[in-house]
Amino acid sequence: MARTWRITLAAAGLILVLSLPALVESSYQLRLANVIGIYLLLVLGLNFILGYAGQLSFAQVGFFGIGSYAAAILTTDHGLSFWIGLLAAAAVSGLSALLIGIPTLKLRGHYFAFGTFAFGEVVRLLAVNWDTLTHGASGLSGIPAPAIGGFRFDTDASFYYLVVFFALLGIAVSARVERSKIGRAMFAIRESELAAEAMGIRTRQSKQTAFTLSAVFAGIAGALYAPLNTVISPDVFSFDVSVVVLVSLLLGGSGIITGAVLGTVLIVLLPEWLRFLDQYYMMIYGAGVVLLMVFMPQGLMGLMENLRVRRARAHAARAEAAPAGVGERTDRVAP
Amino acid sequence: MYQLVVNGLTMGCIYALIAFGFILIYNAVGAVNFAQGDLVMVGSYFGVLAVGLFGLDPFGAMVVVIAGSAAAGYVFQRLAYYPLRDGPTINVVISCLGAGIFLRNAAQNVAGPEPYTMKPFFGAELVELSGLAIPSQSIFVVVLTVILFAVQYWFFFRTSLGRMLRATANDKYAARLAGIPVRRMIALAFVISSVMAGMAGFVLVPIFLASPNMGFGLVVKAWIGVVIGGFGSVPGAIVGGILVGLLETFTASLISSDYKDVITMLVLLAVLFLRPQGIFSEPVQEKV
Repeated sequence: MARTWRITLAAAGLILVLSLPALVESSYQLRLANVIGIYLLLVLGLNFILGYAGQLSFAQVGFFGIGSYAAAILTTDHGLSFWIGLLAAAAVSGLSALLIGIPTLKLRGHYFAFGTFAFGEVVRLLAVNWDTLTHGASGLSGIPAPAIGGFRFDTDASFYYLVVFFALLGIAVSARVERSKIGRAMFAIRESELAAEAMGIRTRQSKQTAFTLSAVFAGIAGALYAPLNTVISPDVFSFDVSVVVLVSLLLGGSGIITGAVLGTVLIVLLPEWLRFLDQYYMMIYGAGVVLLMVFMPQGLMGLMENLRVRRARAHAARAEAAPAGVGERTDRVAP
Repeated sequence: MYQLVVNGLTMGCIYALIAFGFILIYNAVGAVNFAQGDLVMVGSYFGVLAVGLFGLDPFGAMVVVIAGSAAAGYVFQRLAYYPLRDGPTINVVISCLGAGIFLRNAAQNVAGPEPYTMKPFFGAELVELSGLAIPSQSIFVVVLTVILFAVQYWFFFRTSLGRMLRATANDKYAARLAGIPVRRMIALAFVISSVMAGMAGFVLVPIFLASPNMGFGLVVKAWIGVVIGGFGSVPGAIVGGILVGLLETFTASLISSDYKDVITMLVLLAVLFLRPQGIFSEPVQEKV
């Protein structure tokens, strides 16, 4: 039953997502949908390294920045096409992940978190100071819209389908990794790095794979962000972006793809729904993060999973007399 | 040249105070407190309040800062750490991150976004010290830092409460077996940490201005000091903090002030690459 249910739900969701441009009233709402798609790539990226491999990373904003700048510089200053910019963005982000990962992934504990944090700041500071490449604090403007042949993705609606394509691709890649040997190695590291190593898992390679995937996702997100916004400047790529990405993943449920989607949608839309809070929004957002950790550390999906398990347990207790083997699914426990 | 040393040392002392508080919490609960910089900001605002609103002299204001920061530290750990004490440390890290966002924006809503300043505590004159003219505020910061660390040393090594705190940081389980009230010790670690951060914030106001977002840049430098000194090592945090202050002042004046922060960050990455255990720490090991 559960399987049919899931397929129906996914199909309904897909139809809703694809028909969204016809349903919304304003292009502003489509712009929000585009922002959700781009953030989803950042969150799915973080899901590899934090959700699957259990390593706290603050590097998403750095890769996002590198991707944005790579794409923007190539398409404006060098007049290359969006697609070359996109490939370059993914490649440069992936390579920087190797560079940052080699020294920091050797070590356990907080070193990785610190290294990734420093990396994000270095990217932002370089964007401010390296005038000849990045145009300094004023940034780059007039970033052209992507095009295939004669078709240009220059409206919010057409750009939306481009974003949806990459978001769905991101979900598909995530789902594939989750069910692969590589993904299972990451899960093992998350549960206990020492035990994983004792089982013969190459922990450094697995962590590096997760980190590189997170970087490539963020790089692509950056390459999409640049033409969507048409302007980029260093102040966009502050530490706050990494925090928003982190909170999105944790709100939805770390290590769960549906959780990443749910969390991203909520975190982008909450400021819209809570407009009336005005200048108090950020204050409540901060307190909300604390409350999230206190009451719902496994996120919304983790909470639902817990309820499901509890119900199954109650069900099993009731059916105790009967020799029914009610097995609980415990293969996915968020860290 | 000596001017650079004085400025570097002044900022270095402030980073060392923040780094010390930071490492105290890290040793007590194993979590990186992302709100340490915001506790610095809270101290600054208590100072501004005491001097600007109550019209107290610097020493009276210091009492207000200590009391306010201690209370802030206690409430902070009660709400952002205590409910999470049995969960994974990453949850504590994120909870602290959230608490920091709350404090920053609360300050902005209460006191407004514009920065506050204060006159130097003992006038703006330079003090002649064996032929060198040194700003009085710098001397005050350095002397106060030395006194604070001396008090901490006495407390941690000469009092039984300090020994209990060290035992807790060393091994919570064994400490509990020995009858040490571990929860209260952890609360105390947060309180001391917050007081040190608050004092750093207070003495900083005449040099740096107090604003809601002042903490971030400061805590980043303190972290770098902690990593350079050796994660978990208290003398390392102090020496590392001072080194970062000197490094930043010297690069700003000798190389480029634009690249000051880039170079500091690159030094951090270089330390992580070449000697991740820092100057003072043993090679990194994991408790099983």
